[in-house]
Amino acid sequence: MTDLEQILSEARAKVAAATQAESLRAVDREYLGKEGVVAGLLAAIPTLEPSERRAAGQGANEVKTAVLEAIEERKSALAREALSAQLSGEGFDPTLPGAAQRRGSLHPITQVTRELEDLFTSMGYSVLDGPEVELDHYNFEALNIPVDHPARDSQDTFFCDPEGHLVMRTHTSPVQVRAMEQLEPPFRAVAPGKVFRQETTDASHEHTFHQMEGLVVGKDISVGHLIGAMKTLLRGIFGRDLDVRLRPGYFPFVEPGFELDARCPFCEKGCSVCKRTTWIELLPCGLVHPNVLRMGGIDPDEWSGFAFGLGLSRLVMLRYGIDDVRHLLGGDLRFLEQF
Amino acid sequence: MLVSIKWLGRHVDLEGLKPEQICEDLTLSTCEVEGLEPFAPHMASVRVGEVLSREPHPDADKLSLCQVAVGEEEPLQIVCGAPNVDAGQKVAVAVVGTRLPGDFKIKKSKIRGVESRGMICSVRELELGDEHDGIWVLPPDAQVGTSVAEALDMEDWVIEIDNKSLTHRPDLWGVRGLAAELGAIYDRPLKPLDLTLPEVGADPAFDVRIETPACSRYMGLVLDNVQGGPSPAWMRHLLLAAGQRPIDGLVDLSNFVMLDLGQPNHVFDLAEVPGGIVVREASEACKFTTLDGEERALQAGDMLVCSAEQPVALAGIMGGLDSRVGETGSRRLLEVATFHPATVRRTSSRLGLRTDSSARFEKHLDPTLPSKALAHFAHLLTQWQPDVRLPAAISDCGDWTDPAMEIELSGDHVRRALGVDLTDDAIRSILERLGLGCTEGEGTWTVAIPSARATKDLTIAQDLVEEVGRIHRYGNVPEAALIADVVPPPVDARRNLVRRVQDRLAGSGQMHEVLSYSFQSDDLLETLGWTTEPHVEVINPVAAGMSRVRRAVLPSLLGLLAEGRRQSGDLRLFEVGKAYVPNPDAEDGQPTERHELALAWAKPAAAADAAFDDSRLLHLRGALQDLFAHLEIEAPTWTLDDQPPSWAHPARALVARLGDSGPPLARLADLHPEVAVALGLEGELACDVAVAEVSLDQALGAPQEASGYRPIPRFPGVKLDVAVLTAEETHAGDVQALIEKAGKGLVRDLELFDLYRGESLGEGRKSLAYHLQLQSDKRTLSDKDCAKFLDRLERGLGESGAELRRS
Repeated sequence: MTDLEQILSEARAKVAAATQAESLRAVDREYLGKEGVVAGLLAAIPTLEPSERRAAGQGANEVKTAVLEAIEERKSALAREALSAQLSGEGFDPTLPGAAQRRGSLHPITQVTRELEDLFTSMGYSVLDGPEVELDHYNFEALNIPVDHPARDSQDTFFCDPEGHLVMRTHTSPVQVRAMEQLEPPFRAVAPGKVFRQETTDASHEHTFHQMEGLVVGKDISVGHLIGAMKTLLRGIFGRDLDVRLRPGYFPFVEPGFELDARCPFCEKGCSVCKRTTWIELLPCGLVHPNVLRMGGIDPDEWSGFAFGLGLSRLVMLRYGIDDVRHLLGGDLRFLEQF
Repeated sequence: MLVSIKWLGRHVDLEGLKPEQICEDLTLSTCEVEGLEPFAPHMASVRVGEVLSREPHPDADKLSLCQVAVGEEEPLQIVCGAPNVDAGQKVAVAVVGTRLPGDFKIKKSKIRGVESRGMICSVRELELGDEHDGIWVLPPDAQVGTSVAEALDMEDWVIEIDNKSLTHRPDLWGVRGLAAELGAIYDRPLKPLDLTLPEVGADPAFDVRIETPACSRYMGLVLDNVQGGPSPAWMRHLLLAAGQRPIDGLVDLSNFVMLDLGQPNHVFDLAEVPGGIVVREASEACKFTTLDGEERALQAGDMLVCSAEQPVALAGIMGGLDSRVGETGSRRLLEVATFHPATVRRTSSRLGLRTDSSARFEKHLDPTLPSKALAHFAHLLTQWQPDVRLPAAISDCGDWTDPAMEIELSGDHVRRALGVDLTDDAIRSILERLGLGCTEGEGTWTVAIPSARATKDLTIAQDLVEEVGRIHRYGNVPEAALIADVVPPPVDARRNLVRRVQDRLAGSGQMHEVLSYSFQSDDLLETLGWTTEPHVEVINPVAAGMSRVRRAVLPSLLGLLAEGRRQSGDLRLFEVGKAYVPNPDAEDGQPTERHELALAWAKPAAAADAAFDDSRLLHLRGALQDLFAHLEIEAPTWTLDDQPPSWAHPARALVARLGDSGPPLARLADLHPEVAVALGLEGELACDVAVAEVSLDQALGAPQEASGYRPIPRFPGVKLDVAVLTAEETHAGDVQALIEKAGKGLVRDLELFDLYRGESLGEGRKSLAYHLQLQSDKRTLSDKDCAKFLDRLERGLGESGAELRRS
């Protein structure tokens, strides 16, 4: 190893050993300073033979460049290390919460109603609307429930006049006949909305709640079609296939009439939701009674149909596990904020 | 309705069928079963005992000391207080450890110093009746040591059926009808029941006259030599299982026949109906005391059963207090009649008096049923009391016709409506099991509907489709897809509008959506000064003061503010809903329906040094402007509301109209400070509240103004701020117009960022400061353009009495 190589090697070792800016500056001074090693080499050149001077000068310069390079490299490495040490030293509590975002909310009944509307419109149903303050004609008479019919008892009607001409609609079914008057068969329609029953309220009873009526009118509509449509509906609501069963149920505006039960989506062996029966009573339905079709101006010999009434409030309670129906229309912010 | 399985078994063989199975099958084919309970389950652990000896208690006069054999090695010593206990009796013994009704557990005890190891029970202690004047003495052949339930054949199950699911089936309001239903389900025949009318004596028939069309048939049977006393044990047990309290022999029999065949009937003491029977309508309002002791206010048209001008029963509903079957005479009159459903229903609904009898009549009973029920009653009575005589011919009057009828039905109709592949034979077989005979025929039959099903239930072919479907079981109907040309439903503009409103407000508006009741309380409306406005009102509200149907949605939100403010310092609510305004001009009487959006925003008042626009009113206005822009409806004109609603601050109320004179699209105001306090927004809940209502009907019809694309400027603009000193009365809008005018079309992004009043400006002066940008589509603007704009602005302002503040 030549002297120069020896010098360079030693300088590199010192650069590498420097762990701080200060010690690196000391190496800088030692080699590149006015009285440093490189200066010494250059100063020694005049004492050499002229033939050696050129090579010695070149050698000294090479050493100078190489040391300078090593120092610069080391300097940035040290700076990186220092930054890295500084950053990793900044302790941060990973459990600090994010800054609060103010947000609004859509009522759960709105949310579920929309889901169902979207599901039904995707299957060609129109979404219809009907008045909450309804004529006796649409709420009862046209639905094959004449005055003095015992079925009126179970309806707990709010009357808006002593003659009973105007009532708070007791179900969304009046939209059936309104739909028939409005649409040309064949058609499919649903009608969500508020309904009213004159009854004492408690955790599971409300005088005002939401339903969604469904009506399909076409050629040769059968019970089989009704079952198929209801299964599709449940698939849409619960996201999976649920067993259903139809059992006889009496509603004057359908014939035959059914109660549709679905296998409880929350248990296999019985729970409080299904009252330990594994079935939940989900919706009344049936084939539209010929008298109702006639009332709507539709010839029952040519057309037939099915209808169903879905308890929206109940569905919302099932969906979110809400234990008190009064929360739905109570307007409590602590309730609304959760949706 | 409670139905005993043992009782059903009197009419149809239910051998081999578990109670659970019967319930399941009834549920799937017939009606809604709500429950299944064992009958008197405690009776399984009460044992038959034999009193071996009875001695007086050494230390108490009225107590006896009995040795009672209960089938164990040693007899039990039991202290008994009943006067009728005696040696040799078979009795019901609750041994130590038995639980009796009322969670009463029998323990070993000492009574007056003597050990007692059980209890000899009375009928009432076992909840099998009201008798409690002594212990229950069992028949002598009861087997000692067995359970009383077994010894007396009391083991039974009780099915509870939802009455509503039987509304259309008068025939199922009797056990025999339900048994027939089970017979159809299991294809088992009904057991015969002798329903031939009994032989009667030669006396003339009891005098009955019908003076109202609401009674189509009235049968009377005179019963002589009738004895008092309790009804037979088997009957009492069946009545108990069906939830009926045994009362006395004849009443029990009357109830039994009603429950058994579904035909109400009534027994009068003959002495109470001396003048014969007249069925008529009350001609005027009168009072009548029913046998429950209540005085009832009757109206003209209520149907009465009378004797010698005096009412003795409210027809089809309840007998009179005075005609209660007495214990004295031995002559009775049995009434079995058919009353008009609507007449009975109207009276019973009005009086709030629903009885087992009225519930059956209002379902439309079969007019052929009275003769069967009368015969059944007579057979059962003479079996029980063989000495009873029937001295007189049966009275049977009324203008009735047998409702039995025929319906044409085709197999194709059934298959098409159910969507099943049933053969003609299978369909006919089901109908015949139900007692619906079919004529022979190829694919089309005439189906004979017996009177019991023909009054209301089965009238059209669709009804028969249901009969076949429910017995075949709907579970056997295969699912079918609806197939039709599906065209997209027409665009529903209102629903789209509502969705966009909800999404915008709940989204960037950060508001919570409320759905509230359609009723608004009188208290709330009084607070708002709104009770004088005409409202749709219900005549039977859930509570006093809750009769008004809302004519505007906003008050519903106002009612929530105080409670909401307790929960949140920054309360933002909205509701989309319907409101109803009475419309006397409407031909059909229906009120005018309004679709409305209501908004409320409550927050503590901003600090004095807050930005000028940090008020609820301006924030809510901003939210509405954003909403209207989002809905792409033409920007409305906002003016001061010269007819502010009663809940609005009179000076801080705005109205937005489409065009200059159209109906209001929106109203926006600060809440009137007095109303705020009345709503409870005071003290720590005090706050700045702005409220608004938007007519969605107007919004729906508003001209659309699409928010089109505007090219991004190619040349840089110049940003600058200007401040304008002006008189207090000058509106910001006027200043804005002057700025835009001076800009000659170059002003963009004009924004008022400060509104300042202060002594330095002088009394009655204010300073309005704006950010703006001058921007041209054609060239890069220079300082010269800027200077020219400011000069023009200065001149323009000067001409209007304002001045440009040069900094």
